Formats: sequence, C-alpha cells, structure tokens
Amino acid sequence: MSAAPGRLRPRARIELGDYPVDAAWSGDGRTLAVAGGEGGVLLLGADSCQPQVIGRHQGGVLAVAWQAAGRLFASSGQDGIVRLWDARSLESSAIHTGSEWSERLAFADNGRLLAVASGRTLQLFDPKGQPAHCFPDHAGAIVALAWRPKSSEIAAAGNGGVRIHRLQPQTGSRNYPWRGACLSASWNADGRLLAAGMQDGSVHLWNIASDDESEMPGLGAKVFATGWSGNGRFLAAAAGSALLAWDFGGKGADASRPLELQAHSERITALAFRPSGSWLVSAARDRRLLLWRVGAASEPQDAHLLADDCTLLRFSRDGARLAVGDARGGLTIFDCTP
Amino acid sequence: MTAPIPVTVLTGFLGSGKTTLVNRILSENHGKRIAVIENEFGEVGVDQELVIGADEEIFETSNGCICCTVRGDLIRILGQLRKRRDRFDSVLIETTGLADPGPVAQTFFIDEELKEHYALDAIVTVVDARHIEQELVASPITLEQIAFADVILLNKIDLVDAAQLRRIERRVRGISATAAVIHSRNADVPLERVLSLGAFDLERALALDNAFLEPARPFEWAGIYQLPAGRHALQTGGHDHDHEHEHDHGHGQQLSQVDVLLLPAADANAGSIDALLEQATAIFETQAQPAPPGSVLAPERRHRLQLAAGAQFQIESAASGCWVMFTEHAPVEFGLRLMGAVPLQQREFGSHHHDLAVGSIGLTDARALDPNKVNDWLSYLLQSRGADILRMKGVLNLKGENRRYVFHGVHMVFDGQLERPWGADTARRSRLVFIGRNLDRNELTAGFESCLA
Repeated sequence: MSAAPGRLRPRARIELGDYPVDAAWSGDGRTLAVAGGEGGVLLLGADSCQPQVIGRHQGGVLAVAWQAAGRLFASSGQDGIVRLWDARSLESSAIHTGSEWSERLAFADNGRLLAVASGRTLQLFDPKGQPAHCFPDHAGAIVALAWRPKSSEIAAAGNGGVRIHRLQPQTGSRNYPWRGACLSASWNADGRLLAAGMQDGSVHLWNIASDDESEMPGLGAKVFATGWSGNGRFLAAAAGSALLAWDFGGKGADASRPLELQAHSERITALAFRPSGSWLVSAARDRRLLLWRVGAASEPQDAHLLADDCTLLRFSRDGARLAVGDARGGLTIFDCTP
Repeated sequence: MTAPIPVTVLTGFLGSGKTTLVNRILSENHGKRIAVIENEFGEVGVDQELVIGADEEIFETSNGCICCTVRGDLIRILGQLRKRRDRFDSVLIETTGLADPGPVAQTFFIDEELKEHYALDAIVTVVDARHIEQELVASPITLEQIAFADVILLNKIDLVDAAQLRRIERRVRGISATAAVIHSRNADVPLERVLSLGAFDLERALALDNAFLEPARPFEWAGIYQLPAGRHALQTGGHDHDHEHEHDHGHGQQLSQVDVLLLPAADANAGSIDALLEQATAIFETQAQPAPPGSVLAPERRHRLQLAAGAQFQIESAASGCWVMFTEHAPVEFGLRLMGAVPLQQREFGSHHHDLAVGSIGLTDARALDPNKVNDWLSYLLQSRGADILRMKGVLNLKGENRRYVFHGVHMVFDGQLERPWGADTARRSRLVFIGRNLDRNELTAGFESCLA
C-alpha cells in the first residue's frame, strides 16, 4: 500500500463569537450549521468567513443535525426546545419534547425521521415536527444515537448497554444489556457491528448479525470516542492520550493487536474518520490536530497547531472539507486532499 | 487557562433543610451566579435559569469497585455548562436524601475532563437536629453523609434542648473530627460559610480539634475540683437555663444512667488530669457499681448513677484537697453540678460512641517523612482499605522539601500537591486525618511511622 502524504489545508479561522459545541454539514457540503455554547444557532458558508446567527436557544445550544440530502436541520438547547430549521428561508418551528435537555439529535439517512434523545427517552419526529415514535425508559440517559446503515433501525446507547429500535416494517426493540456505561456508539459500514466506547476503559463490540459480543479492555481511561473508517476496515478509539485502531480486514479484530497511533501528549478531545478510505483526524489538549492514514503509516501524515482545545471535528459527506472548532470560539475549515 | 469553577455538594436527609438552603442561595442577593443541579427536581423554584434537573445516574465499572463509581449525569451536565461563556461563579449540586456522597465526590477526582474545569470545594451536609439520632440508627447513609462532610449544618437547633444539642454535636464530631459544624435555624447561615470555601482549607480543618489526635477515651469529660473535707452533694437533672425551649422539646431522649469516677489529684493544674488519664481509663474498664439516687460515691471506683428526675448523690472527701471527676458524658447532658464548687480546670475527650462504626483518626508528627515511603504506604493503604476509608486529608512535612504537601481523597482516589512554603514561624509538622469504618489507630500509626525519613 503506498502512503501518499495527505494534507489538511486550512482556510481562515473564523471567529464565531460563541463556543462551538456541535456542528453539522449540509448534504452538499456547502453550508455548516454550528451549535453555540452561548446560545447561538449559526450558519456558515464553506467559502465564507462570516457566520450568520439565525436564532438562539436560551442558555446554550446542545446539538445540531442536518438531513443527508435536504435543507432541513435541527438544533436543541438548554431551554428544553428542539427547533427544525429550513436553511433556505431560515424559518424555524419548535418541537416540544416535553422533557428537559435533548442532548443528541440524528436524522435518518433518508431524512424522513429526526431522532431526539432526552434523558432516558428516545423520540422520533417527521420533517414537520410531528411525533412519530416514542421509546421511553431506557436503562440510562441516552448518550449516543447511531442509525444503522441500510436499514430503518437506530441504536441508542447509555449506561447499561444499547437498545436497537426498528421502525419498519413494524416497530420493535431489542435490548443489548451490558454492565457498564456506554459513552459513544458507531456502526461499521455494513451495519453488522456496533462498537461502543465505555466508561471503564474498554471498547464493547456487538455483532448484531451473529448475536455475538466481545470486549477490548484495558485502554486505561474512559473511551469517549469511537469511529469506523470509511472503508469499513478499521475501528478507532480514543482514551486519554491513547489512540488505538483495530484492523477488521483479516481474521477480525480479535486476532489482531491494535495499532497504536502515538503522537498526542495529552488527553484527546475529538476524533473523526474521513467518510472514505482510512483517513483519520484526531485533536488533543496538546492543541495538535493530526491526520493519520490508519494501517499505512504509524506516523501522522500532517499536523497543525490549533488556537485552543479542539471542541469538534466534522467532515463534509464527500470528505473534502473538515470543520474544526476550538474552545476560544473559533472555527477553521480545512480542505482535505488525500 | 481559567481557574476551576468551585463545586459545592449538598447532602442530607429529606426534610433536613437542604431545599430551604438552596432556595435561600438562589434568592439571596449575593451577586454571584450559581448554577444549581437538582436531583430532587420540583422542590426548588424551577423558573430560575440556572437550575438544572438531573437524573442521578451512577456509572459502575465492570470490576465492581465502589471507588471507581462516578456520576454520569454530572459529567454530562457539567460538561455542557462549562461551554457557556456567561460563566457562573460556582456550582451547587443537591443530592437526594438517600444519596451516597462517594460517587459524587469521586467524579471530581476521577473524570479527567471535569478535573480540568471544576474543583470540588466542599461537601456540605445538612442535619436535622431533631431527628438525627433516630436517623443514625435507622440509616447507614446518614452516617456516611456526615463522615464525608467538610461542613455540617446542624439545622433546626430551635427544636432541641441544650443537652440534646450537645449530645448530637459530640456524636457528629465523633464521626467527623475535621468538619466545621455550624448551628442554624431554618437553614439560615451566612453563605460564605458554605459556598466557595477555597478548595478545602485543609490546614484550618486539621487545626480545628485536637481531641481526635488522641486515642478515644471511655469518658467524655474531666474536671478538677478543690473540696474541703466532708460530704458534698452531686445534683443531676437540672436544666440549662440559657435555653428558652427547655420545657418544650427533646425530653424523650434523656439519659437514664451515666458512669462517674473520682480520683485524688496532685494539684489544680490541668496537668493533673493528664497524669490520671491511664488510671481513669483502666478503672472505666472495670465493672460499674450501681448507684441509686442518694448513694455515697467512694473515690477510685466506677459508679453508674441512676438518673431519676432531679436525683442527688453524695461524694465523700476524706481530707481537704483536689479531686478529678471523670464522667462518661459531658455534665451538660445530664445536668450535673457539684453543689458549692466549680471546676477549676476541665477537659473534653474524643467521643466514645463505639456503636458508630464510622469515626475519625488523626495522626501528627514533627519528624520529616520520606516522600517515596509515603507514596508506598498510601498506595498500599488505599488498595487494601480504600473501601473503608471514606475521607482522608493531610498536610505533610516531607524531607528536603520547603513546601507543604497537601492532599485529600475519597475512598481509593486522592489528589495532592505542593503548596505554600512552611513559614519561619510555623513548626514543620505533618497532620493527617482518616475518616472511615473500623479504622485501627495502631495500624495507621505504624504505617505512618514507617514513612519517617
């Protein structure tokens, strides 16, 4: 495998005047919606340097999500309100979830359902904001939502394991209990494997197809982020300053030792795979933003110094752009050319 | 980097006055922005912008170690709150009445992300003075809430009499020797005594009470009297007339008996009490002689006074001279007065409530310690006894180090750092205190002494 040097080329760093808590690209990668910790819902053109504040949540925004193909995006705030926004008219409507904070939002791939996690309850709404399904009483507060690829199923992870809810053809739920607290959840490309980063310093893996499960323990710190490479071959996990990747290409992860991607000297704060290939970006409290080609090289392919701690890393769907938020209230868009 | 936001954890049984205190903090004009995280949502005025309801969620680890449990809800909520730029000055976490304070406190030692932005300032436990004695019997959580506390707000003191209040305070002190105890009615307390105390002012806490540095004694009080030869009346059951509610409350829990011992003393100096401590302790371990009202109490014997209402006893002094009287409970608790005499010197001792498995043990030594040995000892101690050690605090005099090493911990986790230098006018002296279950002073002392440089 050749290791052509990949590059991240920064455009200007944009002052948001707010703390970037979350961000979501439009399907065409031309617009970015940003959730501001101070309460602003911001829109930013990929080629513009001027963010537009299109609305506010009292207290602070918690999450944003954008349809894969469409002009609808959603925001949720500490005011307990979820808003659906039309990116063209900039009009919004409020969804009343009837609960406190909705910390996770996720659109189904076809854009027809918005999943909203509020405490132990998962609710689904149609694009008009009308309730479609409600799944209360999860074992713990839902901390991660992941739509299963090529299906109408969604995984909701939290303390005590994962529940997978099927919405079509008829509604049903399966429980995958585990005696620990999940902090993240992500599906591999074909939707067979679901990986969760755990509070106890392990990665838990459910093979939904075969009903097996396995555990990769001993990461030394809570595993706050996990992700699958775009080509489906690698699973990466961040715990403390450690960044590990398991190769699922050969006999499977159980038979292989994880690759250790050693470069960060402090706690990793964000992690993201490019949607295609095996390109991974990581950022840590050492303020370094690193680009990796997992499986091809053990050294980072590119490095940049950030203005402050990284708060988020978001690739556009085509992988051409990477949005990087920092705790000083800035956002930098990088062109990603592998 | 901005300074960590101080976090106050408020514990206490339902009905102790926690919510009253929170409401006061929210409504009082103190000019501070305080975010309140509520586990019993609905009790506090929710129209406040900074009141957040939380669903208490304990994250356990697969190995089942209690020391590794943290509060997942706090990690999530505090993680979000720190992103607001209109930052608040402090955070107040109100726990449910039945909450074990361990996981809440451990969260601030264990979670790296929270540690970067928040610092546990103090655990404040509100105690309902009127019901605490029943609660201590009925619920082990009450004991733990007191043991974990840095500040104990002894609330509703207007509903108990002076003797009961004293007894409660001694009991509370017997559990936690280092906590600051504040008396209040209707949770009315200056807020600077519960909020932003300044990262566990350890030296002040460790200097508070010397009684716990000594072994527990089977008596709580000793006083020196100068008596002429002859018989003297020992009156019990009187009231403390400073207390306006004496006839209204608390009389259901009067003592029915109390042990007393008289020993001849060399003189009226305080040293005379010290000189008799071992002898008195030995006599208190012999069988007590029942003493119905009217009995004459001979010296050098353990008498068990039967406390009927206003019971009177006699003591016999063969010759004029000094006597030390040792009493199982403090005189105010059973209205003890020696007629025609006042104690010239008196001293109180560490509580002997052995019915409480939780207590405090303090150690102090002026000799310098070897940092590596201290590290080995504390590691061993926390590994082997971490489940029983609820709190641990200390200021250490390390060999070759000009600064104080200050640390505190919860169960198996602790944080320490070098702080300000030892001053020219302060003696270099290590002080440690352990608060926990079934602690063995000899074992701790031996471990501590193995660390001497």
